Amino acid sequence: MSAVAAKPAAGGAMNPGAMAVGIILTLILVGICYVMSPGVGLMALIGVVIGGILIGFGTHFVPVGGAPAAMGQAPGIATGVAMLATGAGVAGLFGGAWAAETLPATMDPMMQLLIVVCAGGVGGGLMMAITCMMVNFLYVFGMGIPPASGKVANDPITGDSQAEYKSQGTEGHGLPFVSFVGGVIGGTLGGAGGTLIYFELLNLYQGALPDVMNVTAAQVLPIAVSLAGMFAVGLFLVNAVLTAYNITGTIEGPHDPKFKRWPRSIVASAVASALCGLCAVLIVVPLPI
Amino acid sequence: MEHIVFGIGITALAGALATVAGSAEDTESNIGSQGDPNSQVQLAPQMGFLHRIFNKAVAGEPPAYGLWCCLGAGLAWAFMAMQFNAVLAIVLGCVFATFVQGVYATTAYVGRTASLAKFGQPVYVDILKSMTTVTMAHAFIAIFCTVTLCHLINTALGHPFPLPLLGLIWGIALGAAGSATGNPYYGKERQYQNQKFGAGVPISASGNIVRYAEAGERNSIDNGWFTAKIGGSASGICFGLIVFLELWRTVVFEAINPWYAIIVGVIMILIFTVIDRYIEVWARKTYGPYTAPKEADA
Repeated sequence: MSAVAAKPAAGGAMNPGAMAVGIILTLILVGICYVMSPGVGLMALIGVVIGGILIGFGTHFVPVGGAPAAMGQAPGIATGVAMLATGAGVAGLFGGAWAAETLPATMDPMMQLLIVVCAGGVGGGLMMAITCMMVNFLYVFGMGIPPASGKVANDPITGDSQAEYKSQGTEGHGLPFVSFVGGVIGGTLGGAGGTLIYFELLNLYQGALPDVMNVTAAQVLPIAVSLAGMFAVGLFLVNAVLTAYNITGTIEGPHDPKFKRWPRSIVASAVASALCGLCAVLIVVPLPI
Repeated sequence: MEHIVFGIGITALAGALATVAGSAEDTESNIGSQGDPNSQVQLAPQMGFLHRIFNKAVAGEPPAYGLWCCLGAGLAWAFMAMQFNAVLAIVLGCVFATFVQGVYATTAYVGRTASLAKFGQPVYVDILKSMTTVTMAHAFIAIFCTVTLCHLINTALGHPFPLPLLGLIWGIALGAAGSATGNPYYGKERQYQNQKFGAGVPISASGNIVRYAEAGERNSIDNGWFTAKIGGSASGICFGLIVFLELWRTVVFEAINPWYAIIVGVIMILIFTVIDRYIEVWARKTYGPYTAPKEADA
């Protein structure tokens, strides 16, 4: 079929076959990890996949308007999807990594995981709350424009009518309340997902690197922290960019029809995270040859 | 107790540095049209509006600042490993990172503008010479402040991440906060100064950016001067609040009980939610609707 004869891009359509292939690919990658490194390696990979899915799902909540938002032509934050989601996520990762450092080693591992992931989530949510608030501050007090959505007649949370607050010739502007809430949820999920990836990889490296490098646990700590941090930032970018392709440009938040595309994105995030996570695990697993 | 007081002092200093960094970052990106409004600068010649606006947007602000801050922090870290004084090491690292920014700005402007040759848009050498140095100066301030606050976080507050990784993280966050807050003010309020105040730019007006100043043609230094007043300040406050509150809740409450820092973070999110809702309601009441209320065709 030529490009001309093809149907218009059905952005929201799900392809069950492709999704099944994605799930099978993920299972194969997890299976390879099980063969190469059962136990801690497998646990780390599962943590990375769950973290990647959280990032991919969370990015759908972030209200991003791109270039039209910068002219007050469309609602959302005037920057790219991957840009903003990554900014919030790494801010959460910063907080989560700090919390991981200060927790006593004697604490229950599950409780440690819970605290670290919550700290990362709150860090990402706080970054987005401040950013979204300042965006509305600038629209209202700097430019005299009230927030208005172009996708719904009434704000699903507050019930405020939107159509009459859209200025002529635009799709809306600023961040209506539902978009603000979506931004905070997106930042929270992203921060939690990124921190989960960091924490799982850190535990793996702290346990495996001393044997691989023949050094003490204290000597290996800076390398383990740096390595886990770099992989976490890298996996964040992978998942945020994948989701940006799924969103195709702009999204207003959870009330936007594009939000319904999330199942497709989390399958893609699971495959990409499993592949990247497998590489992250295998660098500390000696090959059986 | 003493270390908490010391931590709060460092937190305040880091917050102040972040505020300056956010402000300089937004002004730098506006002079270089690096945020989303670059689309209009690129579109204008295609619509027949030739201009003298600088345009160096070949990457988003977050990855660009992630690169420059990571480079500055990495070089500073290398100089410190060579036993250089920390202040000298940070300054040298940031100077080298700023040179990379200058190379980036030069190639980006020449490349983007040359692609418009078929529409008759010239590459102005005088613009290249005068604007690049101004963006480099602003970029140095933004990178220096960010790398310094990363150094404080690393050495004084004891964050586990090494300096280059902190530079990457806070560089990305700086670009995200600066572009999110500052872009609409440059895009709507400055580039479309000929449109009505208090309303978005109609889609039909796209590309018709303001090209003339009080005397002669407008250039990007005029744009930096204009946006520094509100867009730059708001971006600075945004990034300053992010850094200060993130550090403050951790420094004060994490040592007492890790859950306290999380609970305080949630309370802060709720406070910002209330403030945001107040701003929205205030705007709707004060400015009123553009048209008579009717059923929307969503």
